[in-house]
Amino acid sequence: MRRYDPRWLIVFGANLLLWWLVGLANDALAGSAVHLYVGGLFVVYASLQLDRKHGLIALALTGLMFDAAAPVPFGTSLFLLGLVHATLLYGRRQFPREGSVFGIVVAQLANLFLFIALSFLLVGANPHPADAWLRLFVDLLASQLAILLIAPWFLALQARAMELAHIHPETGRRVTV
Amino acid sequence: MLPKRYDQARPFATLGILLLGWLLLPLVLKVFTRATFFEIQAPLVVADSYAEDLRNFWSNRLHSKDELLKAGHDLAGLFAEYSYSTQQNAELQAEILRMENLLNLPPLPAFRFEPARVARRDFSGWWQRMVIRKGSNYGIPVGAPVVFSGGVVGRVTEVHQYTAVVDLITSPTFRLAATVSGDNRPFSYQGGLNDAFKSPRGAAEFVPLDVFATRTDPRRVVTSGLGGVFPGGLTIGVISSLESSGDGLFKVGEVALDERLGSLTEVTVLVPLNPEDK
Repeated sequence: MRRYDPRWLIVFGANLLLWWLVGLANDALAGSAVHLYVGGLFVVYASLQLDRKHGLIALALTGLMFDAAAPVPFGTSLFLLGLVHATLLYGRRQFPREGSVFGIVVAQLANLFLFIALSFLLVGANPHPADAWLRLFVDLLASQLAILLIAPWFLALQARAMELAHIHPETGRRVTV
Repeated sequence: MLPKRYDQARPFATLGILLLGWLLLPLVLKVFTRATFFEIQAPLVVADSYAEDLRNFWSNRLHSKDELLKAGHDLAGLFAEYSYSTQQNAELQAEILRMENLLNLPPLPAFRFEPARVARRDFSGWWQRMVIRKGSNYGIPVGAPVVFSGGVVGRVTEVHQYTAVVDLITSPTFRLAATVSGDNRPFSYQGGLNDAFKSPRGAAEFVPLDVFATRTDPRRVVTSGLGGVFPGGLTIGVISSLESSGDGLFKVGEVALDERLGSLTEVTVLVPLNPEDK
């Protein structure tokens, strides 16, 4: 009998947990007018460690989850996360995928791209776009700093979850301890 | 060589196919998917709000009897004050009704007050929203005004089964007709001036030239009651400087909003009693 492969579910579950925690942090930071965006962190493990199919499923669900809760055209994050995923897959063979340092760098770059893309999409609604960019710059700085702190833990959490499930993230084969 | 290149480009081809499929997907399916994904995560959003309520409950249980007696004494004073206000309010309502009948005026829009706890605040440079813990289960409609003791909070933009999303007065997408208190000429108010570590502000545009406001003599900005769901006279903020607009026909200025908007825990939704009045 064919064994069920829950790799996409593990990564999606971890993304959901991070999304919830960041939501809590943003709720607490609301009074200070600072907002954290960590979309770039959702992509790293799914794109660098999982196989194409499971990575895409996990990211598609994550994108839809994000879109459902944000006032953006439905499918925006799905497309943006998919684009980052495709770019990372394109050069994945050349990347040093072991260790978390490269993952942190990828998360930073991916987050920078996603943040700027979303900003260009949404800043037009603001009555004073120039002032809005100043606020967005502070948000971006805080987000990049948050990713620097969170990324090692989050990548380790996903790797550990795969270990506990005894699954190799890329091949999906059962790993015996 | 070619197959290898094709293999490398496969992620982009897959993304292209996915995007095409997404664009061709019927709108009703997208709406259904969005609602489904929101409802899936809704328990997560409200869970921490309920946990905080529980924490507050237990911390309040630790108060001594002396503290409770003092609080009860303070509340008795407030209760007497509000009782008097309620009587005055009833008299004024009766007076309004009498005037409406006398002058044959259409009735003012009536609302039911629905208090709701704030479950989640999401204040970014892109949007300013909050999720409240009441939705269609309490009959909250899309577009309903949301207020608090300091004035306008925002407008309900999405209603789900047990939650609703409120677009805040500080949001760049929030726009309404306002007036300066004591003046009946409307101008445009729009949110969106939210600098980091500073109090929120909004932009006032198309203000008549003979309206003046200075730091020493600031003017209160209120809802006009025109062309929208908000009843007139609700506080929006305070305007303390006005300058001539680029074309010189109007004035523009910044409206300082209530600092408490960033830390609200309870709001009131004004549910229209006669939705067709909107």
